[in-house]
Amino acid sequence: MSGRTYTQAGSVADAVAAMAAGARPVAGGTDLVVGARHGKSPLPQAMVGIHRIPGLDSIEVDPNGAIRIGALVSHAAILDSPLLAEQAPGLLDASAIVGSHATRANGTLGGNVMNASPAMDTGAPLLCLGAQAVLTGSSGTRRLGLDELWISPGRTAASADELLEAIELPAPSGAGARGSAYVRLQYRRQMEIAVVGAAAVVRLSADGGRVADAAVAITAVTPVIVRVSAAEACLVGADLSGGGEELEAALQAAGRAAAWAATPISDVRASLGYRTQMVAVMTRRAAAAAIARARGQQVRVPASDWSVVR
Amino acid sequence: MTVTDRVEQVFIRPDGKEKVTGAGRYTADLNLTGQAHAAFRFADHPHARITRIDTATARAMPGVFAVITHVDVPEIRYGGMVSDRHLFAHDVVRWEGDVVAAVAARTPELARAAAAAIEVDYEVLDPLPDFVANAEPGAPLVHADWQSYGGSRSMGRDGNILGRSTIVKGDADAAMATADVVVRGTYRADASQGAPIEPRAVIAQWTGDKVTVWTSTQVPFAARDGVAHTLGIPQSAVRVIVPLLGGGFGSKCDFHFEGHIAALARAARRPVKLVFSRREEFIAPDHRREGMLIELETGVMRDGRIVARRGRLTLDGGAYCGEGGFFAQMAAMHACGPYVLENVNVESRLVYSTNQPSASVRAPTAPQTCWALEQHMDAIAAAIGLDGAELRRRTLIEAGAVGPAGQVFGEVGAKQALEAALELIGYDDYLRGELPDDEAIGIACGWWPSMASPSGAYVKLNGDGTGVIITGAQECGSGAVMGLPLLAAAELGMRPEDFTLHYQDTDSGPWDMGASGSQTTFNNGRAVIEAAREVRAQLLELASQQLEIDAAELELADGVVRAAGSPDVAVSIADLAGSGTPLLGKGSGELPENPPGETSSCVGVLGMETFLAPQLITHAARVKVDRQTGVVRVMEFAAAHDSGVILNRIGADGQVYGGVLMGIGQALSEATWFDEQGRQRNPGLLDYKLQTASDAPPIHIRWIEIDTPNAGPRGSKGVGEPPSVPTPGAIANGIAKVIGRPVHELPMTAERVWSVAVDSLGLEWIDTSGKDPSA
Ligand SMILES: Cc1cc2nc3c(=O)[nH]c(=O)nc-3n(C[C@H](O)[C@H](O)[C@H](O)COP(=O)(O)OP(=O)(O)OC[C@H]3O[C@@H](n4cnc5c(N)ncnc54)[C@H](O)[C@@H]3O)c2cc1C
Repeated sequence: MSGRTYTQAGSVADAVAAMAAGARPVAGGTDLVVGARHGKSPLPQAMVGIHRIPGLDSIEVDPNGAIRIGALVSHAAILDSPLLAEQAPGLLDASAIVGSHATRANGTLGGNVMNASPAMDTGAPLLCLGAQAVLTGSSGTRRLGLDELWISPGRTAASADELLEAIELPAPSGAGARGSAYVRLQYRRQMEIAVVGAAAVVRLSADGGRVADAAVAITAVTPVIVRVSAAEACLVGADLSGGGEELEAALQAAGRAAAWAATPISDVRASLGYRTQMVAVMTRRAAAAAIARARGQQVRVPASDWSVVR
Repeated sequence: MTVTDRVEQVFIRPDGKEKVTGAGRYTADLNLTGQAHAAFRFADHPHARITRIDTATARAMPGVFAVITHVDVPEIRYGGMVSDRHLFAHDVVRWEGDVVAAVAARTPELARAAAAAIEVDYEVLDPLPDFVANAEPGAPLVHADWQSYGGSRSMGRDGNILGRSTIVKGDADAAMATADVVVRGTYRADASQGAPIEPRAVIAQWTGDKVTVWTSTQVPFAARDGVAHTLGIPQSAVRVIVPLLGGGFGSKCDFHFEGHIAALARAARRPVKLVFSRREEFIAPDHRREGMLIELETGVMRDGRIVARRGRLTLDGGAYCGEGGFFAQMAAMHACGPYVLENVNVESRLVYSTNQPSASVRAPTAPQTCWALEQHMDAIAAAIGLDGAELRRRTLIEAGAVGPAGQVFGEVGAKQALEAALELIGYDDYLRGELPDDEAIGIACGWWPSMASPSGAYVKLNGDGTGVIITGAQECGSGAVMGLPLLAAAELGMRPEDFTLHYQDTDSGPWDMGASGSQTTFNNGRAVIEAAREVRAQLLELASQQLEIDAAELELADGVVRAAGSPDVAVSIADLAGSGTPLLGKGSGELPENPPGETSSCVGVLGMETFLAPQLITHAARVKVDRQTGVVRVMEFAAAHDSGVILNRIGADGQVYGGVLMGIGQALSEATWFDEQGRQRNPGLLDYKLQTASDAPPIHIRWIEIDTPNAGPRGSKGVGEPPSVPTPGAIANGIAKVIGRPVHELPMTAERVWSVAVDSLGLEWIDTSGKDPSA
């Protein structure tokens, strides 16, 4: 009736060709199809299924230590990866709380990133981990930082014929232990959407006594997920020795800085005032969890749970 | 009958397997040859006068079979206590879900497009969503000329107040003045929803002058009667069949869209099918849990004796009365609660607004009112320096106590339920300080009446000794109907698996009020037992002839009729059933009587001022509050209930698990929020936050089994609604203990809890209104 078409791509080249002809890629469909059924935006006239393309569903380390996560890797697969559990637990924190078991089994990392929602959960940890999007289109392959990829809510810098092949996490640089975490405010334990979220990635000094490097990003409180350099500055240099007072002060300061950086709205999920205060709380918790992990302490995945029961 | 007489307690429901395997067929799964699909045109404004409806464009669209409006159906009003609605609005629309027109078309998409193409002009009126303001004298009326409407006038018609009820005992004003301490509290509860997983579906098909309607209703006979009434046809011309029902929680009570779809099918000259989207399931039913303003005042002596209770309750009735007319009185009883109160003066008002209409959702009015009262009880306890449990211990009703309207209670398990819940949750350890300081235990007590209603059943045996139970009772998911074979089997010495059920069909089952009021086992159980007893007498008679033994010396057990004391002298029920003599029983049973009360000083009396076989409940919740975010988790839950004798433990426990989880939702996350216009802001499952399985705490259950006279079969009461009643109150009292102050708004969302905690705990507030210090 509607003349809607759906084809299935067997390769990246197939998919790119279909996309160049106007088709939208569908991976797990948990955003695209479910969103259409909710009337968010109509189902596209032409769609190309990419979920059978071989080679896009693996997690690999290249010789330089960079990690390549195929676009079709599901949230469930991320949770099952010992490599990511060790190198990027903050990403596991995010994937662990996406939707429900069914959503995590079907939803892909590529879909989450390309959907470009300011409330996407993997966005903040990926941004803090310095992730790059590997995009392949009719005119070749290019890499974009996620801060360049996300333009506005629901929009990316990728052109219509560019398929996301993978997300790459650069090899860690610098000595010192690293830790990452993502924490989200959640009213219930499954089927939530981020009202406020925050991620932190830290590297400690070689002796473990100080925070040497920090990245902080906030979720769902700005039009696109952003890093907060003022919050990062509060953490860098924090002294971890002693009774923890200095760390506590640094966490408080980072939280405040993040609250200042947020430009939230009021809606049925939360008021502007509450959101603003929660940015500080989530930022503190994410940074605390990241630092704890860097120091070898056990922080359960998802850190959202850990931060409450701690 | 003694407790040891009771039937086997664990019986797996016969519809369980098809439901969990996905094989079960619900209304939306049915398709009839040649069927068209329906879509409604809903009101475009929550409150407006219709000035023109033009359906020409919609009618002309290809694939459209019929477009109908008020001109295509008789001008007949319907409704519960007030007949205030038409199937299709023709003068004023009073809420966003009012139906203006309906379309039947080849596909659902075409039907929706055609519904959107209907031209409707309005004169927009001021919305009247503030039900408290609407109760003031002189407020603009939602129904300007409702004095001329039909219906009952027993609760008065005053301004926008469609139901007014008082419970008066003694002289509360005078007694209040003598109290050692007077405690006051004001509480506000938001509206919420039944939110069944199955959205509503209706299919109608005419054959000659007779229409068959398949519909997802909890009350097939009310649906049938509604179709007959609104279309002006006899009840014998309407047959309602209910396929599997995917939950209702009260929201599928009452007559809803069966009339619209029957009218549409007649106009389209083919079967018509309606299936609601999730959004429609939120917006369109005239059925949600009422918002309330609850004002309480209690005078108490230092020893805990409650000398006076005053209360004023204001309930949002929404745009139409529906079957919610009794709410004012029900709420008033819950503002009293299961306590000994020496003097009472509670006034309760059900008020029209231009919001979605309120009507029964699991234990209507009780969870909110109990939530307020139980927080109030904790405040009273604190004011006189007693622990909350101790105050309740001293004031809960027991045998011989006199109720708010003069009812003298028989044996009730209120105090036993309190002690059981405290024990199950480990309250003593808590009092000894053995919980972390972000955790606390809150308790709440509540009650709920049993409801007597006529009901009927047939029981017949097949030639091979199996049987069929034919009932008018409706299964809504509670398993109550599914448990009926237990009762028939016990009477006949057969196994419950020997019976199949024929139900949910108004042409075959006797009239029944349907799946509402926790009364299916209470009333239909009685009918089934009665019907089975007729069959029993027939079997005994046949066996007596065959065995040549006096019937009085025979017993039925293990599928045979045998001589008591000499089990070898026996004839099998299968042989008797196969002998050709029809074995067919029918029954209704004798209706228990409402206990007498003293109501001369009350108004708006509907028979709920005394509680028949009251069910007594204490719930205890161990909660953990994330004090920096206000997020509350229920860690552990204890539920102790006096529901009389429990007939099927697995079914009764299931009601508690579900009711508690639903109550946790109402406590913490579930609310329908209206904007200033009265439109729902969160009509979907992303922002109408039900609790998930992962949120469910361990729930410990204790049944206080009191063999209750003048009640349901074998000394039972009801079990379906009570588990929702004290759950929000218990959680509220736990939260208040952690954050040091109560939360007087329901649901107690994270933001609301946090807002109270900001003050009570002195949390940091980062003011970002100035200039960013780091910029
Ligand atoms: C019930 C439910 C709960 C959810 N909860 C969460 C949550 O808690 N947190 C969260 O972040 N998200 C949540 N989501 C959203 C969604 O599940 C995730 O974003 C998921 O990761 C999307 O992946 P997908 O493969 O299903 O994407 P799809 O729906 O297939 O695609 C999403 C978008 O990305 C595009 N796209 C997909 N893959 C590619 C590619 N390789 N290259 C280019 N473009 C591509 C599609 O064209 C589409 O525009 C939820 C969804 C549902 C239905």
